[in-house]
Amino acid sequence: MFKDLLDIAILLTDGVKYTATLFVVTMIGSLPLGLLLTFMRTGKSRILRGITGFYVYIMRGTPLLLQLYFFYYGLPFIPGMRNVLVLDRFTAAMLAFVLNYAAYFCEIFRGGMISVDKGQYEAARVLGFSKGQTLGKIVLPQMLRVSLPSIANESITLVKDTALVTAIGVTEILYFAKATVNRQAVFTAYPVAAVFYLVMTFAITKLFDYLERRYSF
Amino acid sequence: MSILEVNSLKKSFGEVNVLDGVSFTVEKGDAIAVIGPSGSGKSTLLRCLIGLERADGGDIVINGKNLMQNGVYVNDRQMRDVCSCMGMVFQSFNLFPHMTVMDNLIAAPVSVRKEDKASAIARAEKLLADVELSDKANVYPSSLSGGQKQRVAIARALMMEPDILLFDEPTSSLDPQLTAEVLAVMKQLAEKRMTMIVVTHEMGFAREAANKVMFMGDKTILQMGSTEDIFERPSDPRIKEFIQSIL
Repeated sequence: MFKDLLDIAILLTDGVKYTATLFVVTMIGSLPLGLLLTFMRTGKSRILRGITGFYVYIMRGTPLLLQLYFFYYGLPFIPGMRNVLVLDRFTAAMLAFVLNYAAYFCEIFRGGMISVDKGQYEAARVLGFSKGQTLGKIVLPQMLRVSLPSIANESITLVKDTALVTAIGVTEILYFAKATVNRQAVFTAYPVAAVFYLVMTFAITKLFDYLERRYSF
Repeated sequence: MSILEVNSLKKSFGEVNVLDGVSFTVEKGDAIAVIGPSGSGKSTLLRCLIGLERADGGDIVINGKNLMQNGVYVNDRQMRDVCSCMGMVFQSFNLFPHMTVMDNLIAAPVSVRKEDKASAIARAEKLLADVELSDKANVYPSSLSGGQKQRVAIARALMMEPDILLFDEPTSSLDPQLTAEVLAVMKQLAEKRMTMIVVTHEMGFAREAANKVMFMGDKTILQMGSTEDIFERPSDPRIKEFIQSIL
């Protein structure tokens, strides 16, 4: 029994590299992109505010699974893109995830930004800080701290969302779990996969707990 | 030459007229208490002087440099330069919550004036000793009482070595005991001939520390003069009424 479980676990381990890579790439790509979108979304230019507002609406308003299909199957159907925009499965997955999560992070950061008191800007101004210094030294640290719990929440959602890419055939954990169930006609691969996800979410929870303590004020 | 000259200052928020022709001068070493009923434009006046609000008309000359002439402000860079000789202390303290007390004090000198960090720390330690908070240098503002926060805020403003220090109701959110410790610091500054303009409801400060009192009402200055003038010889029935209502 234990050996069976171990065998399944070893099989699923092959998928870990795709799941983990997708997670890491999405975080590294979407956090800075989300921050950039926040600045555009809250900036002076009405056009940029409008564009980012629409972008967030589209990305949050449609299923991530649909966006995956779009980037993998849909792009080549754009006129003139038949041979140009043909992405391999994993590239399409990373692109869809980064763009989708950036929209959520944009809204999380925007919430953090709104929470920074107007008096902070005024104090910075009368002390002579430039606009850039005010943003970098006063506003950003506070908004990032306020955003941490929401970012933690979103990161855990992301771990689980990685399983969606099995739908376009990326060989991540759930892909192998499903294949194992089909091949061996036993259900045990699914609980084993669940343990893999739980281990990852546990690590992320602990990481963010640490960050919240470290940067409390 | 006066350190600050204000002439016919006007300011409206939309349809609401807040300041209508305010003129006064401040001499070096003046400690001016600005008093008057709520809504008389005291805070707005202060905020116009340091560029947090844009006035609509009039002249402001600070240290011989124009901030605004005939309702037109100098450009943003010049504005920064002109206002850099002023500091401000707020009712809600506005300390930076993510920085320790020490970092609150040295942030602007190091980032804005490019002062050497060691020298900024040395000056900060001295100022913290002056406001009797040497033991709080490494704590975050969230662990301070309101009175301690305000004393840190005063020290932070002094770090930039301003020629004029503006106080916008510095004790209005403090209980009487904490008010006393903040007023003691402000009184010391007045005794050292720091030029101060203090919007306050604290008549104790107006009577004991200020050398001049500006009484505002109905969008303008009803009377400005020595403390005795205002309290003993009010020129306007509205001032008399106000003073009686407080005492």
